[in-house]
Amino acid sequence: MKLDAKIPGGPIAEKWDRHRFELKLVNPANKRKFNIIVVGTGLAGGSAAASLAELGYYVKSFCIQDTPRRAHSIAAQGGINAAKNYANDGDSIWRLFYDTVKGGDFRAREANVYRLAQISNNIIDQCVAQGVPFARDYGGLLANRSFGGAQVSRTFYARGQTGQQLLLGAYSALNRQIAEGRVEMFPRREMLDLVIVDGKARGIVARNLITGESERHVADAVVLCTGGYGNVYFLSTNAMACNVTATHRAYKRGAYFGNPCFTQIHPTCIPVHGDTQSKLTLMSESLRNDGRVWVPKQKGDTRAPSQIPEDERDYYLERKYPSFGNLVPRDVASRNAKDQCDAGKGVGETGLAVYLDFADAIKRDGQDVIEQKYGNLFQMYEKITAQNPYETPMMIYPAVHYTMGGLWVDYNLMSTIDGLFVLGEANFSDHGANRLGASALMQGLADGYFVLPYTIGGYLTGTDLQPVSTSHAAFEASEQLITAQVDKLLSIQGKRTVDDFHRTLGLIMWDYCGMSRNDEGLNKARQKIQELRGEFWENVLVPGQGSDFNQSLERAGRVADFLEFAELMIIDALERRESCGGHFNEAFQTQENEALRDDDNCSYVSAWEYQGIDAEPVLHKEPLEFENVKLAQRSYK
Amino acid sequence: MNWFVATFGSSIGKKLLMAVTGLCFIGFLTGHLAGNLTIYAGGDAFNSYAEHLHALEPFLTVVEIALLSLAIIHIVTGLWLFWQNLKARPNRYAVNKWAGGRTIGSATMPYTGVLILAFVIFHLLNFSFVDKTNTTIWQIVSTAFANPLYVLLYIAAIVVVAFHVRHGLWSLFQTLGANHPKYMPFIFKASIVVSLIFGIGFGLLPLYVSLFA
Amino acid sequence: MTKNINLTLKVWRQKNSSAAGNFERLEAKDISTDMSFLEMLDIINEKLTLEGKEPIAFDHDCREGICGQCGSVINGRPHGPEKGTTLCQLHMRHFADGDELVIEPFRARAFKVVKDLAVDRSPLDQLIQAGGYISANTGAAPDANALPISKETAEMAFDAAACIGCGACIAACPNASAMLFIGAKVSHLNLLPQGKSEADKRTLGMVRKMDTLGFGNCTNERECEAECPKEISITNIARLNRGFIKASLFSSEK
Repeated sequence: MKLDAKIPGGPIAEKWDRHRFELKLVNPANKRKFNIIVVGTGLAGGSAAASLAELGYYVKSFCIQDTPRRAHSIAAQGGINAAKNYANDGDSIWRLFYDTVKGGDFRAREANVYRLAQISNNIIDQCVAQGVPFARDYGGLLANRSFGGAQVSRTFYARGQTGQQLLLGAYSALNRQIAEGRVEMFPRREMLDLVIVDGKARGIVARNLITGESERHVADAVVLCTGGYGNVYFLSTNAMACNVTATHRAYKRGAYFGNPCFTQIHPTCIPVHGDTQSKLTLMSESLRNDGRVWVPKQKGDTRAPSQIPEDERDYYLERKYPSFGNLVPRDVASRNAKDQCDAGKGVGETGLAVYLDFADAIKRDGQDVIEQKYGNLFQMYEKITAQNPYETPMMIYPAVHYTMGGLWVDYNLMSTIDGLFVLGEANFSDHGANRLGASALMQGLADGYFVLPYTIGGYLTGTDLQPVSTSHAAFEASEQLITAQVDKLLSIQGKRTVDDFHRTLGLIMWDYCGMSRNDEGLNKARQKIQELRGEFWENVLVPGQGSDFNQSLERAGRVADFLEFAELMIIDALERRESCGGHFNEAFQTQENEALRDDDNCSYVSAWEYQGIDAEPVLHKEPLEFENVKLAQRSYK
Repeated sequence: MNWFVATFGSSIGKKLLMAVTGLCFIGFLTGHLAGNLTIYAGGDAFNSYAEHLHALEPFLTVVEIALLSLAIIHIVTGLWLFWQNLKARPNRYAVNKWAGGRTIGSATMPYTGVLILAFVIFHLLNFSFVDKTNTTIWQIVSTAFANPLYVLLYIAAIVVVAFHVRHGLWSLFQTLGANHPKYMPFIFKASIVVSLIFGIGFGLLPLYVSLFA
Repeated sequence: MTKNINLTLKVWRQKNSSAAGNFERLEAKDISTDMSFLEMLDIINEKLTLEGKEPIAFDHDCREGICGQCGSVINGRPHGPEKGTTLCQLHMRHFADGDELVIEPFRARAFKVVKDLAVDRSPLDQLIQAGGYISANTGAAPDANALPISKETAEMAFDAAACIGCGACIAACPNASAMLFIGAKVSHLNLLPQGKSEADKRTLGMVRKMDTLGFGNCTNERECEAECPKEISITNIARLNRGFIKASLFSSEK
């Protein structure tokens, strides 16, 4: 199958308008007859389900949490970008578009990114109308800050809880539709298979996490908004339940997986404290606006930070990147922190941390100003580490945060399976090889509020959809597959727990497919993963029963998928013969240790087609054409 | 009438009834205390206060009926709330600990309420519903408080009232929606002061009567 | 400084919502004080699993104190003894070697136990469905700066909007009342000019829904405010009360 991104013709600024006009409309009276399944209730899923229901479609919404308000979008701290140019500092749709493509190290699809930048302004309007309490100036107008590698102030924020407030906005819109009977909500459900009938996505089979029953749901289209796969590393800033299962199982049903090796390692997280740690906590990178990153100049310096005089400190980001300083993009900041620690200059008990120092900012602006900006973050840091960042510098270290890869989608956000749409972090589309700060919220909401509601209509009107019942053979087959897997997992009764396997897998991935990769390590990792997967299916210990609220069993299914999916990430990382953004292969670097792209040979999206668990997947390439942005080596000096 | 039932049958509506009737009782207690202070001026003054009060008939009867109605509303609503609140947590915690919000007054409202009701009945039987043709109120009071048991009982009852008022007063402002960071701390402290005034004002009377009358 | 402590746990075990529950005594050995409370439970669960027993079911997700999914009652305190802290952000350094911890689920008639420490908090969603939203269809919004909102109002709305929907207020309330939860949502939306047009409808809708779900009545005990991990103030309840009086007595809302 040839990949067709279905990018509309015409100048980039007109593509979306033209496309919206060309999309066929669904007769309002007919919308009610269409049944749409939306899996996931984060920013993308919540906003999509609500908007589709407002249009008149009948929506079934699913989430694994106990309520749709808890999806991990809620943890996004820093903000959401929009090209409003309220700050009058030279921002524009074009600049947001350009920055996003450049920040993504030129591995994103231009047309998608431009549309994202266009829509960004509507998102802010919509969220304000929903009651999102964005930060405001004394005059009552919206406040902005600069964020994550941008030189303009285009980030809208709600203290350090922007994701929470945006999600509650989408959640409230969703609840309004639930109350009106247009959305049927299924919490504590995990999608375990995608059901395809006549080549089209026509439903899902989900596990009721409380009773363990398999439930079959038919629809005219299925929308996956199931987030990223960062938890393949075990330790990440993702929530504990974040997983790849929904997208991986769609991949196994024929949806191509795009750029799986593009993972974002966030530079400002609280360092790991021991081997019992369950997850990592992000400190918003807005902290880099005022905090200065440094390490001691001397290797193995164990003095307390206050004992290290100014001239024995290396503010390495300011030194190496004088124009962006501490605000370089995430991949650059992360890799530099790793380099410093690898060189033996890391601080803290483990030597795997660098300082983020607010002393100068406090001296300059006063503690109350800093407290107003970052109070809740400082408090969170103190809660976790029992150290007071007003007095002693924070210690930070990079951690897995976001995955740019995801199911491949075309301009309509439809995957290679007809009727299967993928939104938000779950798709691969807008961030290329590296996502800029405050862009994830923008993309999730753009997809859900303003893209899918149009494009799905085009699909539904233009497609012949025969009635399907839940007793269809495809549902039967899916359910049998799921039951067999559950039975198998419970029957092994081995010696190692699910978490034990997950932790081992995470370490392999972090060591060999993390911030810095090389072919030798990747090959080694691939072999280790295969071995681990083999052992998993012989030696995993899953307690309890299948017909019960069984959290170990839930995790076992997810880890089983991670064990398969991790290998795909390795395969993708090996295949891409360049370094770009979140994918840094040591064989491809400049003399200054920066990522070295190969635009002539590697300007493509890799889209992988499943062939079987132990079979090599087939690579399809979507060439990326840059007509509006000039390819250049990213420079933040 | 539908909106009326919907309003005052709701959880907040019932609380409003408690708040408004409670406020009336605090007004009543203030008046009652002011009148009773005449005891310190001696038996004649107290008798004369009682006479003046009774001269206000039929106004007094109207007030008495009003107080009775308020009491019925306060008691019935209070018991209703208490019963609903018990039902709201059928399985209790094995360990109960206060986080710093509760006070002895707030935690015991339904119980102090019932005790106060018992006391009010006792009090009325003692001093109100008695044949006063051949005696004066002062004589009744001074005879009663000659018995130290009576004194103790009255003082105990007044302490209970003080705890009830200490939570009830600020709480009724909160229920009526009057909570603002600027003045709530004052209201909160004022409830303590008022409860102390009631406690000391009423509490010293039996003691004074028994010792000096 | 990091050190290791030993604790005795008495954990509530209950097979499902209809089964009777009981406390199980478990030893937690060699617990690093840098661990979070939930990481301590993870360790207990790993041990139980290897011993062939069923691990303790408990809800949790983000482990950053923002999703609101975790929460149990530790020695009589929802989310444990630290002020303004969710259970996932509570660290073991706040306990001493040899402590006995009684761990119970949030208890209220409206919250049924799903299993062990996990409870069903879906009534909170039902409360939101009764009016905890602003009716603004996608696409219908005016420019975000069309309607200035004073910083003070925005901040007050935010203070209320910080609610994470964990249900600790209800667990902490001696009467299992949901007044802080709806007080916060009503305050958040009614304070903002965008939410004013349906303010009365929202207030009445949410209060009436609350009354049907088996929550108790507020008796101003202030335990909710004291236990709220986001330290949401009961001034929001007073604002709800004011709004209720206004909506009931001075609006045409039925």
